[in-house]
Amino acid sequence: MNDLELFPYPKNRLQKTDLDLAASLQNLVQKEIVDKRLELKEDYEGLLKPNLRKLLVEIGLQRMFWPESLGGEEHNGPEAAYTVAAALEQVGRADTGLAYLAAHNLALQAALAMRENLDTEACARFAPLFCDGRGPVIVSFLLPVFGEDGKAPTWRGKSFQVKARAASGSWILDGRGVRPTCSGVDADLFGAWCAVENEEQPAFILVPGDASGLSRGPEFKKTGLAASRNADLDLSGVQVPLENCLFRGETEYRRLLSWLYLGISATAVGGLLAAYQILKEWGDNRVIKGTGNVFKENPLTGALMGEIAQDISMARLLAYDLAGMLADPPSFGDAGSDGVFTAALMIVHQVLATAERAIHRTMELMASAGYAKEWQLERYWRDLKTVQCYVGSHELAKHDFARWFYGARTL
Amino acid sequence: MIKVRGIDVFSRPLEYLTPLGEQVGEIIREWVEKEVIPYRREFDEDYLEHRLILPPFKKLLGEYGIQRILFPEDLGGWGLGHSDYLCVAAFRMFEEIARADSGMAVAFGVVFWPLVLICCEPHVNRRLCEEFAPMFTGTTEPVFSCLAMTEPQGGSDIENVEVLKGSTIRTTAVRDGDEWVINGHKLWPTNTGGVADLMAVVCTTNPGSRNPEDIAIIFVPCDRPGVTQGPAYEKAGMAADKNGDIWFENVRVPLWYRACGPGDDAKYYGEVVSLGNMGSIAFAVGVMLNIYEKLQEYVNRKTYRGMPLKENDAVAGVLADFAATIEAVRIIGYQCARMCDRQDLYGPRWTPEIVARARAHRYFAADRALEAIGKVMNLMECFGPDRDWDVEKHWRDIKMVQLWLGGKQLSQMEVARWFFECETL
Repeated sequence: MNDLELFPYPKNRLQKTDLDLAASLQNLVQKEIVDKRLELKEDYEGLLKPNLRKLLVEIGLQRMFWPESLGGEEHNGPEAAYTVAAALEQVGRADTGLAYLAAHNLALQAALAMRENLDTEACARFAPLFCDGRGPVIVSFLLPVFGEDGKAPTWRGKSFQVKARAASGSWILDGRGVRPTCSGVDADLFGAWCAVENEEQPAFILVPGDASGLSRGPEFKKTGLAASRNADLDLSGVQVPLENCLFRGETEYRRLLSWLYLGISATAVGGLLAAYQILKEWGDNRVIKGTGNVFKENPLTGALMGEIAQDISMARLLAYDLAGMLADPPSFGDAGSDGVFTAALMIVHQVLATAERAIHRTMELMASAGYAKEWQLERYWRDLKTVQCYVGSHELAKHDFARWFYGARTL
Repeated sequence: MIKVRGIDVFSRPLEYLTPLGEQVGEIIREWVEKEVIPYRREFDEDYLEHRLILPPFKKLLGEYGIQRILFPEDLGGWGLGHSDYLCVAAFRMFEEIARADSGMAVAFGVVFWPLVLICCEPHVNRRLCEEFAPMFTGTTEPVFSCLAMTEPQGGSDIENVEVLKGSTIRTTAVRDGDEWVINGHKLWPTNTGGVADLMAVVCTTNPGSRNPEDIAIIFVPCDRPGVTQGPAYEKAGMAADKNGDIWFENVRVPLWYRACGPGDDAKYYGEVVSLGNMGSIAFAVGVMLNIYEKLQEYVNRKTYRGMPLKENDAVAGVLADFAATIEAVRIIGYQCARMCDRQDLYGPRWTPEIVARARAHRYFAADRALEAIGKVMNLMECFGPDRDWDVEKHWRDIKMVQLWLGGKQLSQMEVARWFFECETL
């Protein structure tokens, strides 16, 4: 049995094509990333960028949802949630950052090209960029953040980073020191959830990376996610066509986030599966307390390894539970409904917290090998902590939970 | 500039403090402000060369002369090896340095770590003090020591003296006339990777033996023929703490380079373990003090619905937990230091009892610190992992403090063994 199959997931709900995709991704990332990273480490140009192209363009993750008539795969029913989960956990096993970028790309596709909510005009405008085979499309979002300098308008307690106004047939966008969710240096498209001047309803507006008035700061150093070279942005009177506003409603925005959270949850599961494989090797071969005592056979370390496996199993089940909710709107509601969105938010926070704990413990078991780059474990620890921070403050997320479960109104 | 309370608001047991420790602490605070904090964000990339890291050490260790503090006064030292305020003073120094960079704090601490074996009462080795004091006192260049314990087959086993009694040590010291001939391979000591000038090497004089008398800690100047240091490892953090391989191939040193002698080397090895744990708590405290400063800046500058972030009740809950963690961990750390100082009250610091207590204090402190810092990063959202805020660097570094000295599970075993009188762990 493939050791990753040890961890339970609802295999019966995945289509054969999902399983085939996962299997081919597993082989690809093993050969192209895992086997090469001891030499190439986290080199962006040498390892990460070429593999982003392989995943998005050659495997075709960035064509997945778009209509066939526009060059896509039109795998755009809600059941694609399982495909996203199965694919991204394999990518995340090899490199969390690449999976995180793919999650952004897939979330945008889901928001625009999902069969039930197909935005024909937007698909016609943007699908060619994703489907022309010329290169990977790096998607980044400019979302509200918790705590802002000044008195920016807020959404669910978070401050908008970008303000928009409609003028002369265009949207004009402004924002200083805007922090993207990823890839400020490299992104081709920024999806900005903007406060709109003199209107209550925010707008989700796509900004091409080469838009006039958009300037990118230098790449800043951060804990992890080498695949996401991030930089702050300044938007100074950035002008985009009115059609670049993809939606105004919160339902659509929540739908985008629910899919993003699914992708991120699967990414985290991938990191956990990688940690499992590293620990498995350690536990099988390490001898403690003199000769003959194999690490995994010690009652204390064995128990802790068991607890880590339990954490990985629960995280994987949760991620697939979220996939199941998104895959079955008649039973659970639309991905943009408050209930599903809240569940997605809870699950992504829970999965990331579980990942943090499990990898912390894996590092504890491996002691100095846990933090030596040679053993490859610490990169998952840094990456997933970075992802957790980018998903947002748990304190504010808890307010969302309270709003939904207890009807809190003023939080 | 927002005026906020500084790091000195956190409790310390004032009755334990020593004028020397406080004076040196102030000097170090000034040094880190000028020489370390402005440059530390580039340290990660400097892990191999130490072009940025070495100059401040030159000032602190060499020019200020702090590298000489353990040696007796008549040998040019400050005589702190005779003091029963050694650990409290060290705690203050460590937390001040760790506030800027805990990697530097451990590199600093390890300068003195092996010297404890020859400079401290009641086991001062006067002859070795005389031999090595000039290395440290006769120069304004920084001089580094290291304590070489871990071996490829396992670090925690070497440190698990009480149970394994040195039986797994593979680095051998064979007597040949009036010299030891040392052969073996060590991994991970702090201040290796080409840094160390003097090593204390944990060896066996009889491989496989469980007789504590066969555990030998032998000093080896690093320029001896047969000593080879590999390059520094690349790690998740702590760039200022270089770790690497050391190979010993027929390295010869005089017999009298053995630290304390048969039986005593094993006994006093417990002392360095206790002090290593005590120092680790100071590193955790220093790190949290700096994060407190950073967090003050963050929650005052950032706003939420028109008010500073700190005025939000949910945020305040996180802030309170962080402050409470610093309070508690700092008190625990100073108590640990005091316990190691006042051997007249608590017993010798090399005993299994003190080792167990120090390990308990350390792993509790490191666990709490790591958990608290992780929550601070979450609160800061996308700015938490941003190196410009310094918090993530401390988070990476403190994870290592949690893991070293044999890892958490060894600590748990030693704690359980002493408090519950376990016999077979």
